[in-house]
Amino acid sequence: MTVQHHHHLDRRSFFDHVGSGLYGAALAQLLGGDLIASESSHNRPVHNLLPQQPVHEPKAKAMIHLFMNGGPSQMDLFDPKPELTKRHGEPYFKKIAGEVEFIDSVGALKRSPYKFRQHGECGMSVSEVMPHLAQQVDDIALIRSMHTTTFAHEHALYKIHSGRMLSAYPSLGSWVTYGLGSENQNLPAYVVLDDPGGLPVNGVENWQAGFLPPVYQGTRFRSTGSPVLDLEPGTEKPEKVVKLQRDLLNRLDNFHRKQRPGQPVLDARIANYELAARMQLEANDTLDLSQESEETLEMYGINDPKTESYGRRCLIARRLVESGVRFVQLYIRSQIWDSHRNLASGLRSACEFTDKPVAALLKDLRQRGLIDSTLVVWGGEFGRLPIAQLAGSNSEKTSGRDHNKNAMVTWFAGAGIKGGTQYGTTDELGFAAEENKVSVQDWHATILHLLGLDHEKLLLERLGLEEKLTHVFEAHIIDGILS
Amino acid sequence: MSLKQVSSFLATPVITGLICGSLFAADPQIGESSLGFESDVLPVLKDKCVRCHNPNDLKAELDLTTGQGLFNGGESGQVVEIGKPEESILFEMLHEGLMPPEGEGTALTKDELHTIERWIKAGSPFDDGTRPGDFLDRVQVNQHDIEPIMLIRCTSCHGRRVRKGELDLRTRESMLKGGKSGPAIVLGKPEESLLLQRIHAGEMPPRDQLIIAGVLPITSSEVDRIARWISLGAPTVDIEPDVATTEPDRMVTDDDRQHWSFQPLPASIDIPKPNRAGNHPIDAFVSKELRRNNLRFNPEADSTTLLRRVCFDLTGLPPTVEMADSFIESSDAKDYERMIDRLLDSPRYGERWGRFWLDAAGYADSEGKRSSDPVRKYAYRYRDYVIRAFNEDKPYSRFLLEQIAGDELADYSDPNQLTPEVIDNLVATGFLRMAPDGTGSDVVNFVPERMEVVADEIDILGSTVLGLTLKCARCHSHKYDPIPHRDYYRLVAVFQGAFDIHDWLKPTSAAGQSDGHFEARSLDVAFPWQRQAVAEHNKNFQPQIDRENERLKSAKAAAQKEKFDKELARLPEKLRDEVRTVVNTAEMDRNDAQKLLFAEYESRLTLTDDELRNTPAYKKVLDEVEAAIKSLKADMQEVPQIRALWDRGEPSPTYIFRRGDHRQPGRLVGPGVPAVLTDGRTPFHPVEPWSGSGKTGRRLAFARWLVEHDHPLTARVMVNRIWKHHFGRGIVASLDNFGQLGDRPTHPELLDWLAREFVTNGWSVKHMHRLILTSRTWRQSSAVSDDHLTVDPDNKWISRMSLRRMEAEEVRDTLIFIADALDETPFGKPDAVNVANDGLVTAVPRNDKYRRSIYLRQRRKEMPTFLETFDLPQMNPTCQNRANSNVAQQALYLLNNRMVRDLVSRFAAGLSAAATDSDSRIQHLYLSALSRQPTEEELVSGRRTLAELEGQWAEYYSEQSEDEKKDPALEAFRVYCHAILNSAGFLYID
Repeated sequence: MTVQHHHHLDRRSFFDHVGSGLYGAALAQLLGGDLIASESSHNRPVHNLLPQQPVHEPKAKAMIHLFMNGGPSQMDLFDPKPELTKRHGEPYFKKIAGEVEFIDSVGALKRSPYKFRQHGECGMSVSEVMPHLAQQVDDIALIRSMHTTTFAHEHALYKIHSGRMLSAYPSLGSWVTYGLGSENQNLPAYVVLDDPGGLPVNGVENWQAGFLPPVYQGTRFRSTGSPVLDLEPGTEKPEKVVKLQRDLLNRLDNFHRKQRPGQPVLDARIANYELAARMQLEANDTLDLSQESEETLEMYGINDPKTESYGRRCLIARRLVESGVRFVQLYIRSQIWDSHRNLASGLRSACEFTDKPVAALLKDLRQRGLIDSTLVVWGGEFGRLPIAQLAGSNSEKTSGRDHNKNAMVTWFAGAGIKGGTQYGTTDELGFAAEENKVSVQDWHATILHLLGLDHEKLLLERLGLEEKLTHVFEAHIIDGILS
Repeated sequence: MSLKQVSSFLATPVITGLICGSLFAADPQIGESSLGFESDVLPVLKDKCVRCHNPNDLKAELDLTTGQGLFNGGESGQVVEIGKPEESILFEMLHEGLMPPEGEGTALTKDELHTIERWIKAGSPFDDGTRPGDFLDRVQVNQHDIEPIMLIRCTSCHGRRVRKGELDLRTRESMLKGGKSGPAIVLGKPEESLLLQRIHAGEMPPRDQLIIAGVLPITSSEVDRIARWISLGAPTVDIEPDVATTEPDRMVTDDDRQHWSFQPLPASIDIPKPNRAGNHPIDAFVSKELRRNNLRFNPEADSTTLLRRVCFDLTGLPPTVEMADSFIESSDAKDYERMIDRLLDSPRYGERWGRFWLDAAGYADSEGKRSSDPVRKYAYRYRDYVIRAFNEDKPYSRFLLEQIAGDELADYSDPNQLTPEVIDNLVATGFLRMAPDGTGSDVVNFVPERMEVVADEIDILGSTVLGLTLKCARCHSHKYDPIPHRDYYRLVAVFQGAFDIHDWLKPTSAAGQSDGHFEARSLDVAFPWQRQAVAEHNKNFQPQIDRENERLKSAKAAAQKEKFDKELARLPEKLRDEVRTVVNTAEMDRNDAQKLLFAEYESRLTLTDDELRNTPAYKKVLDEVEAAIKSLKADMQEVPQIRALWDRGEPSPTYIFRRGDHRQPGRLVGPGVPAVLTDGRTPFHPVEPWSGSGKTGRRLAFARWLVEHDHPLTARVMVNRIWKHHFGRGIVASLDNFGQLGDRPTHPELLDWLAREFVTNGWSVKHMHRLILTSRTWRQSSAVSDDHLTVDPDNKWISRMSLRRMEAEEVRDTLIFIADALDETPFGKPDAVNVANDGLVTAVPRNDKYRRSIYLRQRRKEMPTFLETFDLPQMNPTCQNRANSNVAQQALYLLNNRMVRDLVSRFAAGLSAAATDSDSRIQHLYLSALSRQPTEEELVSGRRTLAELEGQWAEYYSEQSEDEKKDPALEAFRVYCHAILNSAGFLYID
């Protein structure tokens, strides 16, 4: 079995290659790169973010992951269940106990409060609360038969991100950048656009590199203000003072380095200070939405307070992908999809928050021709139950749905995807995936495949084990959704 | 079906269909009827496989000498899927060339392989007509197939601690005895057995209790197995747990023990003959290898370099200006040794070296796993224990005994007999409580999650103390090291007295979770005087709290009265008196009319909770009272608990879990140590630590074995760790893996000599420091020559000292230290951090000062950003070797972060106050930050830069308003200091 790996650049040849052009060629090698090159770590490969050769011709060069943390309700958004409407009010708990987290508040079968209509040429059923996405269904491949392995948020989040129900395993984005590197060396390869309103459950662990080198960890970009922590000096300094200080530091470091020949780590760190300066420019540039037309801003809903926050992030995602960032992941504060109560109103407002921006992103990518090289994936960590979860009273209005690991919904769009596909089914009540079941590792394998990677070959050897995103689980590429 | 041979096994094969059914997809009649197990397959197996897979050696728990053995399967479950070679492990292993393993016999020929494939495809026929399904049926069912099911499905409520319905389902006897409703089983009659009736009716395990009890529903195959067992009359077999005996161990051979690190530590090691390098033993070993590689020692580092290096190495902080002055002037060689002693005696020593151990132990101030990430209130006591142990130079052997079995060292049951040592013993066991543990939450407190905790602790112990990766052996025998599946579960059994997955304790009792069903794993052991002191201290608080509550009560009454009066005034006048009387009459004294009246007007006259909260006067008092009580409570003390691990005396039986799956129990095993680390003929003898202790003594026996004077790994692994922290690289580069896949030692004799020296000198860590720091090897300069680059590019032969970047704590602590902002108060509760919306986690200063980084709270999900940026690891579950990254974020942090800027300002202000002219300012700056004087060149260039900076600031301020103006000279110096503190000369240690 061949290990798909990086150039195991020998440290010396690496720096021979760089030569004396400390601020020239070296930068290209070092930008964003983690240089584990101290004397003490002689035998570790140098990890960097240089573009890597995929194992097969990739369909997509970049991916945008619209992560819907909280667990969107499949039977209220994409998987209409007439039988559920018919049997509304029928007790059902006993049949699925053990699958329910909050047993104190279980109710009977609960119909969807929303109406469904068929859309597009493919005739895909979409709930009335997603009117904008409904216009884009011919571009998406919908999977109704996905399932996961646990109904607890934390563990389900670990699972969907890293393939394991445990913390400390590398996330999908880390594996992808480990396998593919980055096209743009002035920006991080894996950018996370989290919600200014707060971190999702599991916080920064969602984009951790685990046992992969830290250079593959997601870098948070804030969507307003300064994108990266400590990117800007906190106090104002005259431009000339800044320049003098920078020159001074260069002088000090060069002097220090000249006295210590043969210490590559010192060269690397000087270049890193230069990178910090360049990152400051380009990162700020990607956030500068004033370069976008009024129509574009309008399309993403940036002029509307309801959609402003998510719209801004969707638009930045496009700009990042345009700049060559490999993997962009969007999160939403807390858990707007976690409809334990007030599902009828709560789910509607979650859609109001995201529907227009998401549809705009698809439209925009298409208009710019980026859709042919970009994969967009939408989905959460699990689905929801067909029975009601009661909030104090027995009211349909205030009730919600508890977590469900047996059925969840996801969709793919863009590069390599057969638009308008409807893949897999659930049982008549929407409790469990039935036909063409898709596991989390199938989902992972398919994403890797579309990006030109092979889940069986993307490995890291560690403590005597060959670690893979799909672990030892069987994984199948979901051929049914591929173009 | 031929029952010829089966009949003796199964008088009444009641429920046989259940196992076979689906397996018979391929009809044996179709295909090649000429093939047969005895004539075609068995000879191949006998030739190529049974040397290891026989009833005695049982490699991978597999016996391939008979058809029965083949179908019994091994540690990975069934090895033959009838009719499906591609799904059969037997075929897969052979086909992939994984078996026989390299060097353990010849591979199968193509023909042989093809025979096995065809035989499986043909339905695995036997010459004598036995059907393979018969073997599956014949797998005897006994109590060891049933008890594990009871343990995971039933005994949480019907077992040792909880006995609902007075029923205990742990053993055959207790099932026969039954509970309130009668016996649980009726021998031979599954349909009459209450146990099965309740299960079949879907009543047990009760669905609505599953999550609270940490139980998942019983599966149909488990039910079938129980039914079959009952129908057979609940047969039992007398099986002793598999433990080491005086008979040679057949699973691990002397061949397996040949690996260098499995050899006992030699009693003495010859030091290479004295040589030009001098007489220091370390130098003798090192220079021997250098000579062999045509290398020689680098010249000694100059005294300023050496001073800075030794201070950071031992204390993680730079030398003070006074130290620098006195040492650099000195020419007495003894002064160097005196300085080492001084640094080793400093309390700062333990704060640096303790941190290395805390990394390996996986120290954290929170449980992890769940997003709530509950805080471990008392983990800090373990941190303090470790720092103290290093400062006191506690013998490493004792350090291990306490951490692994402190609860079995001395009786702690009588508060009046407690000593500080006894408390320390218990605190030390916190070592085994550091792994992430989410089981405090009901939804993740099932057996697999508990196993995860135990597995993480075994991992920590394995890699930290033994230098072995045991992880693999949890699911199957180790692929590379001779650690059978069995040995992993023997280790599990060692811990089962304390960590019992079937008798669990929650890490902390979390709010909102099933109270009562699981107790907390926390010991309330303290000196009586501590309790008295706390009670004494708190005595005055309760009355104050009561007073505050009284205040709130009167405020409520006042608000109520106001509403009452207001509403009453709205009532018709004639009613008012009457209503007032009713309200003032006690409920039982009211007559019927009054009752009616009361019912009518009560709600109108009474404040609702919402109204009450919205009453301004009341709200004001409420806020005040809440704040007052909060602050009173914050000032109250409590008797600290101990986050300990202790043996509870009655471990459940330990079974091997095939594929690591608790639903696939295999053989019963007892406690023991990895056989490869023993002679294979020595039984493991746990004894009760003291009479009446109610403890198994398993961990104590394990710990005592670890610290035997010739243990193959314990001393080697620890001296290698010490070496690594002095040189940046271990003699064995893979600190946590001394096994086959680990690195080989670069200086094997040196490693053994150091290990022996360590043991002989009472396992003294400080002795090792002195030894290493006085060696020529350590005192070399770090200059790299062309020779080094060609012959020793990785510094494997230690031809120089390795340049290193400061570690996270060193960077932060040094900035704090030189800015005169260091609060050196040791120990106690971790310092609070502030978590900003943008994710920045920073320390909250106290009186404008910060304690050392080791005292900062390390909640897994809120790691201090400063430290994390410089590679402080997240412990999952342990960090054996920190990464050393070099990323742009570090530059950004040191240039722009607010706390850094603040510290730089204080640093610059302090230096400016001490010296007024720029030359002496520059000199002070170099001394404080770089521990050396500036060169003439640096001084000249510094002077020029300061003048330029000052000019720019002056120009800038000339355009600013009067109150924006600052002293341009001071500002210039601040910018200058900031550059120095970003420079490589500051961040790197030569």
